[in-house]
Amino acid sequence: MTDDKSVDNNPQVAEGKVAAVATEAGDKNSRAEGLSRIVEFKNVTKRFGDGPDAFTAVKDINFAVEDLPGRGEFVAVLGPSGCGKSTVLRLIAGLAPHHPATSGEVLVGGKPIPGPGADRGMVFQDYTSFDHRSVLDNVAFGLECRGVDKAARYELARQWIGKVGLSVDKDADKYPHQLSGGMRQRVAIARTLILRPRIILMDEPFGALDPSTRLRMQDLLIELWRELEATVFFVTHSIEEAVYLGDRVYILSASPGTILEELGVPYPDFPAKEMQRDPHFLDYVFKIRDTIESLESSDRAGDD
Amino acid sequence: MLGYALGVSCIVLIVGAWFLLTLGEEAESRIISPTILQSPWEVVASLPSLIIERKLLESIGATLWRVILGFSLAVLIGVPLGMAAGTWRSARAFLAPVVLYGRNMPLAALIPLTVLWFGIGEFQKVMFIFIACVPFITADAASAVMGIHDRYVETAQTLGASSRQIAFKVLAPLALPDIFVGLRHLFGLAFGYIMLVELFDAKAGLGYLISVSQRLGPRAHIYLILIIIGILAYGIDRLLAFFQRGLFPYRSEE
Ligand SMILES: Nc1ncnc2c1ncn2[C@@H]1O[C@H](COP(=O)(O)OP(=O)(O)OP(=O)(O)O)[C@@H](O)[C@H]1O
Ligand SMILES: [Mg+2]
Repeated sequence: MTDDKSVDNNPQVAEGKVAAVATEAGDKNSRAEGLSRIVEFKNVTKRFGDGPDAFTAVKDINFAVEDLPGRGEFVAVLGPSGCGKSTVLRLIAGLAPHHPATSGEVLVGGKPIPGPGADRGMVFQDYTSFDHRSVLDNVAFGLECRGVDKAARYELARQWIGKVGLSVDKDADKYPHQLSGGMRQRVAIARTLILRPRIILMDEPFGALDPSTRLRMQDLLIELWRELEATVFFVTHSIEEAVYLGDRVYILSASPGTILEELGVPYPDFPAKEMQRDPHFLDYVFKIRDTIESLESSDRAGDD
Repeated sequence: MLGYALGVSCIVLIVGAWFLLTLGEEAESRIISPTILQSPWEVVASLPSLIIERKLLESIGATLWRVILGFSLAVLIGVPLGMAAGTWRSARAFLAPVVLYGRNMPLAALIPLTVLWFGIGEFQKVMFIFIACVPFITADAASAVMGIHDRYVETAQTLGASSRQIAFKVLAPLALPDIFVGLRHLFGLAFGYIMLVELFDAKAGLGYLISVSQRLGPRAHIYLILIIIGILAYGIDRLLAFFQRGLFPYRSEE
């Protein structure tokens, strides 16, 4: 853990880590031998409907994410609209109608998943708050479902309201309609993270926020993720966001989605606002933009 | 504020037209004969006789009591049934025929039927309201639950909620405000329905008073009762809206 930090504080070495990931990507199997795989897709295909009207959303997806001890990996997922990013997340979450996969295997901790569960928390972009519950009762929802008694769950919920940057005194008793979009996302994050899931799935959670709120939320997320040591899958349309937040970036091809590229990217050392201006950082952003563009043009060429 | 002013001006316009159409001392000088439509003043002036000789308050009480009883019974049965239908596909499929049939049932046919089943009396009137309202209440409650975005259910699932917990902690409370709004509208409808059975036969009630006024006069009472019904319905709706704000503080909009 401490070793990791010292390595990441040095941009030179951080780049080394990227290079290492890139070369190792070829023989993922040998790299993964000593580690258990927290999430693994084996030839996963998802088709909606059947017969001539069937629609293939994702096709032959293969990847594995290791359970890095005491850390957890942050995987950012990029790709054109409709390529199947949400489908991949919902397959991991076990949410219908995307779950179960039409063919192939979705494994979590080496086992197929039966359906949704609190070990895989999910944060969505919209309709995120239970409108009939105060902020406190929103955050305490999962604990309430587990049967944690009132005093204990409120105590913990107050801690988490503070952790996500809301005011325990002023905001805890508010209802969602009294909150801004950014505050509501903070509530959604607290409500998921309070359960300490092993896997956190986030589907464009900051997509509807203004740019500066978005940067603040990115920093908050990084801070909380370091504390939780969970594996995160984060779907976004922003390359900057993906490069900043991610340890790894997956790029999906246009529909039917397949993972085309897997890139290691630098670890976020500075606040988002500063780091995302750094020339070194921008190099990665441009590189990924070029990759996506070349993928799209080769895709189009393939279609003709 | 502007909306309020427009509403008032609409009422003024109608009363003004009414006033002009019934202007004149003698029957011959009026545009509409006083045997058909009395002047606003004549209608208002008939209030004391409606209250004293025809026992208006007793009839208001009788009508309200029947509607409230029948409607409450319909809510007690219809809301849980509807919520179940909205939550579980199997319950929905099971209830679909009854709801579909009930909503298209001609009310006029329901009167002889309820007389046949329950005789003539208070019980029949309460049951008439109950049977007429249950299908609508059930359908409204079901669509309120079905209108809840899937995202809420999915969020709850990924927070570890069981389907029972989702039904009671998420779907039911999220649907209740919409159900309540639906009930407010349906109560107004039920208030109209009760007149049908009261016109047909009754010993008290606003519908009964209308039929008595039509047969024995004064005709002015008919208009007076219609105005009173409107005011009562409005008052009840405001009262329910007041409860709604208290019950569902998390709903910002009306
Ligand atoms: N329930 C469904 N039934 C049929 N088709 C679906 C369903 N859900 C998704 N699809 C299709 O599968 C494809 C992938 O959808 P998905 O939502 O995963 O895309 P996405 O990458 O998340 O897109 P976006 O960036 O717009 O959110 C889309 O073409 C979509 O139309
Ligand atoms: Mg999506």
